[in-house]
Amino acid sequence: MHRSATLVMAAAALLLSACGSKAEDPVEQIVVRQPGSAAAPGATAASAANDPVTAGKVAFATCAACHAVEPGNASGSGPGLHGVVGRAAGSVAGFAYSEAMAKSGITWTAGELDAFLANPAGKVPGTAMVAGQVSDPERRAAIIAYLASLKD
Amino acid sequence: MNDMTQPPQRSRTAKWTRRGFIGAGVLAGGALLIGVGVRPGNPVGKLGPVVAGGEGEQLINSWLKIDADNIVTAIVPHCEMGQGAHSVLAQMLADELDADWSLVRVMQAPTDGSYVVTDTIRGFVAPGTLDAPDWLEPTWNGLFTRIGQLADGLITGGSSSIRTTGQHTMRIAGAAARQMLVGAAAKAWGVPAAEISTANSILSHKASGRSAPYAQFAAAAAEQDMPQTPALKAPKDYRLMGTDAPRTDIPAKVNGTASFGIDAVIPGQTMTYAAVRRVPVPGTRVAKMDAGAAKAMPGVLQILNMGDFIAVVADSYWQAQQALNAITAEYTAPESAIRSSQDQFARFAAALDEAGDTGGKEVIGHGDVPAAMQSAAKTISAEYQVPYLAHAPLEPMNATVWVRDGQCEIWTSTQVPLFARSAAAKALGLSKDDVTVHHPLLGGGFGRRLETDYVVMAARIGQATGYPVKMIWSREEDTQKGLFRCADMSRFSAGLDAQGRLTAYNNVFTQRHDPADACDCAFYDIPNKSIRVAEAELHLPFAAFRSVDHSQQAFFIESFIDEAAQAAGRDPLDFRLAMLGKSPRHKAVLEKVAAMANWGTKPAAGWGRGIALTESFGSIVAEVVEVDMTGGKPRLTNVWCAADPGFAMNPDGFRNQMEGGIVFGLTAALYGEISLKDGAVEQGNFHDYRLMRLDECPAIAVEIINGNHEKLGGAGEPGLPPAAPALANAIFAATGKRLRALPIAKHFA
Repeated sequence: MHRSATLVMAAAALLLSACGSKAEDPVEQIVVRQPGSAAAPGATAASAANDPVTAGKVAFATCAACHAVEPGNASGSGPGLHGVVGRAAGSVAGFAYSEAMAKSGITWTAGELDAFLANPAGKVPGTAMVAGQVSDPERRAAIIAYLASLKD
Repeated sequence: MNDMTQPPQRSRTAKWTRRGFIGAGVLAGGALLIGVGVRPGNPVGKLGPVVAGGEGEQLINSWLKIDADNIVTAIVPHCEMGQGAHSVLAQMLADELDADWSLVRVMQAPTDGSYVVTDTIRGFVAPGTLDAPDWLEPTWNGLFTRIGQLADGLITGGSSSIRTTGQHTMRIAGAAARQMLVGAAAKAWGVPAAEISTANSILSHKASGRSAPYAQFAAAAAEQDMPQTPALKAPKDYRLMGTDAPRTDIPAKVNGTASFGIDAVIPGQTMTYAAVRRVPVPGTRVAKMDAGAAKAMPGVLQILNMGDFIAVVADSYWQAQQALNAITAEYTAPESAIRSSQDQFARFAAALDEAGDTGGKEVIGHGDVPAAMQSAAKTISAEYQVPYLAHAPLEPMNATVWVRDGQCEIWTSTQVPLFARSAAAKALGLSKDDVTVHHPLLGGGFGRRLETDYVVMAARIGQATGYPVKMIWSREEDTQKGLFRCADMSRFSAGLDAQGRLTAYNNVFTQRHDPADACDCAFYDIPNKSIRVAEAELHLPFAAFRSVDHSQQAFFIESFIDEAAQAAGRDPLDFRLAMLGKSPRHKAVLEKVAAMANWGTKPAAGWGRGIALTESFGSIVAEVVEVDMTGGKPRLTNVWCAADPGFAMNPDGFRNQMEGGIVFGLTAALYGEISLKDGAVEQGNFHDYRLMRLDECPAIAVEIINGNHEKLGGAGEPGLPPAAPALANAIFAATGKRLRALPIAKHFA
């Protein structure tokens, strides 16, 4: 019982030959790399996998919309994160922390960062960081490794 | 409550059965599914006058299924973009079915041109069939072709879901299923069908004391003949229709589980993201692209010069957009000589000059306008203009595509899933059958998503990459590079007799799209009338905007009627009422809104009230806007709205749509302006393409008149048209200043 399918195919072929206005192909196509392969430019898949800081830098891209990482800790929507590992929560001068964060009493160890990134609002109820949840533990570990590398 | 799941992919091994073809069948587990079948040999004509609506939608079936837990699922072909169509269509079906509303669910019908027949059947006979039985074979090809053509008419627009699909399909599907359930129970219980009553998804036989949930007879009901013209309820028997039945789509929107086009994920696939930049001036091309810096930026996978746009594909949307921002390009010279908004309006003015008092293409003409102007005691004239508008839906244009193995799968918010499918198929050189479109909830449509440009762009990117890509337009791209409500200019002249009656009405404008009668005000009894269009080139591409031509025509017409009242020395309400002798429903609506607004009382010093009356998409709507001008610029205090949609199926939903239309209309009137510089759109984001904000929104009161339950009007658009003229008329009432060009805020900058 494959005749019907054949008929449909034939009709499709007719349609195809009749329309003839297929959109143009790309004028220029620059392929940098394939998705899921090497993460950062210059880094191979192997090196990214072996180097959590590199992987973390890539994973941090979504965080970078709000957080700067350069020395001096200029703040955007979120506080600057240079030297965040080991520092007290709510301590970047001039940043308007939520009351919850300012009073959290947390010192940002790797473990505390991991708990916070896993569930920001669960770890610090009332935090203004509503968009930062990272559910993948490996991704969190990489981001924390990257953050730990950000120091003078 | 929304069940957004799609039926399983079709299998090419299962077989159709005859039962499937007559339109009802048994699902695994004893569930019943009803389809109102349309096929050769069982054409529309057979469905009788009930389905003779004459519009394409009637051929897009609606269905219902009843499962073993007594849950009724309405399978709704229209999209849900906040207007409430999913819920209210299910409500209409459930009423005819005598279903318990708390046990009703909604499912989006999948997008398939052959869904009308093949999906109906494959969805319930066995999960997935395409192969036709021998007896059907001779009709198969014609069937496929015809259905495919017709089915592209699956459109959600024109404020039409209730009055077409709801009235002509959903109610029939519900009533037919109820009749089949009753028939099955009568047979099992050995009692006359007429003695069986239905309510709240339960069948009862009073004399014998028997009762059973619908689910118990779902399978047996499928053995009953499918009534093609079941009796529908009279309004006195409505139980759900006309009530504020809670909307089925709200819980998921409140708890955040509702999935919109931009939320699409492809399970098990690594998602990639595309940011795009179209050419800045319509019709131009990318002449030269310098992607040097972008190539080395984090996350970048591909950079594409597609000729008419540039795309960057990256691991994340942010990375894609950042890299796109780093790309410089040169573009070909535009062909159009229109460079600025002034150029555009000069085109309009030139076309209107050329048309003069009698030229252009006549749209409406009766009586003798020149003679009436000649004999008028007083004549007036005025010119109005409106700018281009962007739709600015909260969810920017986006589409997720996966092109592989000669197939294309698309997830996107669209009002026209089958057009989207055809457009993608054409662009990629595939057959429609090889393109699948999933269309989740829309984060706003407003007519913008009647267009398929963004779907085609995503499909082309996906074809170039060969892996899944989610293309998202930035807000700036969405504001600048889409399609627009047209700018327009309209000129009027009128003659009044000694008694201040409007005897001659002469109008010419440049843009006419849809609906055809939007430029008329036929409900006013005006003896001599000439309405003409003098077409002029538009620089920016056109897309229907909420209420389409009414969005500008109502401002033109009802502002001018107000000017005529002023010239006649009459109250704007009385002047209009005097012309409504032949339009009692319009008169009732206008009187109603005047009463709501206490029109006869004098507003405070520096305050003013303006009134406007329109009919669009079958609904008659009058609005009074009240404005406080004591601060030197308009502060909107109140809007009163009276509307006659024939019959409001869900009054709460109807009021909601009036309110939405009013806010949309007032936003456009106050702030909406897309302007041109060097041929490109100047505005980019909400800071310079402003919306009316919460603290600026007036109190809105809406009252409904159910004027004719057999002739329903729409809800999504009709609230918008009166808003702009009522506001402009209110400002005139308060200040004596007549604003003939939108947006209004510009006059107070």
